[in-house]
Amino acid sequence: MKGLNILLRKLIKTGAGRIRFAMAMIGLSVAMVLILSAVQLQSNYNELLHGSANKDSIANFLVINKILTDQNLKNATLSATEIDDMKAQSFTDAVGILSSSRFKASIQSSSAQFPFYTDIAFESVPDSFLDVNTQEWSWDESSSFVPIIVPGMFLDIYNFQFSLSQGLPQLTREVVKMIFFQVNLYDQNGTPHTMRGRVVGFSDRISSLLVPQSFMDWANNRYGSAGSSAPSRIIIRTKDAGDPGLATYLKEKKLSTDQDKTRFSRYRQVVDLVVKISGVTGLLMLVFAILIFTLFIQLTISSCKDEIKLLLTLGASPKQLLFFLMRQFFPSNLLIIFFSVATVCTLQYLAHLFLQDQEVYIPVYISLPTLLTAFVVLLFIWTVNFINMRKYIKINY
Amino acid sequence: MTISLHEVVPVPLKEKLLKQVSDIWNRAIVFNASEWIKIKAPSGTGKTTFIHSLYKLRTDYTGEIKWDNRNILTLSAEELAVVRQHKISIVFQDLRLFPHLTAYENIELNRVLQDPYCEKEQILEMAAVLGVTHILQQPASICSYGEQQRIAIIRALVQPFEWLIMDEPFSHLDKTNAAKAANLIADACKKRNAGIIITDLHDDDHFLYSSKLAL
Repeated sequence: MKGLNILLRKLIKTGAGRIRFAMAMIGLSVAMVLILSAVQLQSNYNELLHGSANKDSIANFLVINKILTDQNLKNATLSATEIDDMKAQSFTDAVGILSSSRFKASIQSSSAQFPFYTDIAFESVPDSFLDVNTQEWSWDESSSFVPIIVPGMFLDIYNFQFSLSQGLPQLTREVVKMIFFQVNLYDQNGTPHTMRGRVVGFSDRISSLLVPQSFMDWANNRYGSAGSSAPSRIIIRTKDAGDPGLATYLKEKKLSTDQDKTRFSRYRQVVDLVVKISGVTGLLMLVFAILIFTLFIQLTISSCKDEIKLLLTLGASPKQLLFFLMRQFFPSNLLIIFFSVATVCTLQYLAHLFLQDQEVYIPVYISLPTLLTAFVVLLFIWTVNFINMRKYIKINY
Repeated sequence: MTISLHEVVPVPLKEKLLKQVSDIWNRAIVFNASEWIKIKAPSGTGKTTFIHSLYKLRTDYTGEIKWDNRNILTLSAEELAVVRQHKISIVFQDLRLFPHLTAYENIELNRVLQDPYCEKEQILEMAAVLGVTHILQQPASICSYGEQQRIAIIRALVQPFEWLIMDEPFSHLDKTNAAKAANLIADACKKRNAGIIITDLHDDDHFLYSSKLAL
């Protein structure tokens, strides 16, 4: 085979139209990088939405309540049917119920140097909906204090508004977590029951004073009024707060949520647009590159038409010539795919490093779909080349 | 392999050929394996047309040509290649060498088109016998016609075959060289137990023919 190939290389010169060949190669490379980038970008975005590494990722938690109107002022609760319906929606991953306290409560300082007192109400939420991960987040009757999660915003208000105007010291999150205070729960007769409490974390997700579910259940049972237990707020986890279906659903059911959370829908639109532009440009370029490549093959074969004809006359099989031609052209295609995959790998690695600093975690390696795409495109180019060559060899037959 | 013809008449020569008597055209005729057949014919009676039809280079004829009882028109390109690589070797009247390859490369190409039948050294031996050693490294295009004819003969002999088909293979050789070439061919055919179909304008005694036919 080796001897034959050397002779065939002398007869079938692939040197004709080198510039055209180079152009096709460059076009093919750019097209490949664009297509693979588009696929990789989509995978990265999916990873950000669903990946486990991104705990506080753009996977969204939305606190939802009914829009208050004059009609429902006293009864803005969500029924079990409404909650089930919410669960059944495609954009909903999980639904958690925010239970609110049905008793009066207050907190006050246990230190004379730093006096404060305020009436408050608590809420609780299933643990899986929390963005605070602390081992102190548990309570039973033997616990020495009640752990409380406070909205991060509260401390900001204190530090940057209240403390400045009142001449009080500013406090870091760590300092606040060290302060014990008194929690007073009032039973239905108004008798206070005092416990110790401490802030164990700050939530940026739920704007409410949160206590563990176990504490809430216990306290409601013991001190709470027998009033309605229907929740007025629920929290849902969704893959994509920017889902248009979600927005429509909320509007239809007259529900409201934190509008700001939907800002991620902007990101999604941008990612979608970039993926589409990159993908479509890549596909178009691929089509043109393959077209040029096809012309190049046609040119090569027609420029040595006589040789091919005589080879076939002497007994060379069309298959032999086809394999020879494939061997001439295919390695360059393979090289391009390798080059494109390597480029996308490098880009991915750089993006990984860059985004790591921004505390966004995308994988170091390119995704399987990206590799598969490279393989599929390679197969496609191979098939197109194969069909073309067979066709042009047949013409000479 | 047997080669058989059934009332074959080339379409372009039809009117002319049907008026004259021929041993081949418009007859049923069988060439059995290992037969050495001479076909004598004056110019213009379709010698090359006959050779090309036998080799399936042209198909513009009526009737049937069969290789081993298989109509050659039904062969696929791949099947045809197998036959040309292993069963039928040919020396064209117009030689058909690759002009840009050297004489040696022209021969070598036919040797390596399939699993080589003979060793490389045999090319040199045959070239020495036919006195073309000195032109082996020259491009075929600058060799004289007589030299090209001998290269074409050697090229035909480096592959395996059951039939050797030759179209006026000695037309440009002097008597001595023709005799040398004929000996070489006869040896190669005996070694393979192969048949010969040779066309020429004149009578000759280059080979011990099993039959002599007139077109």
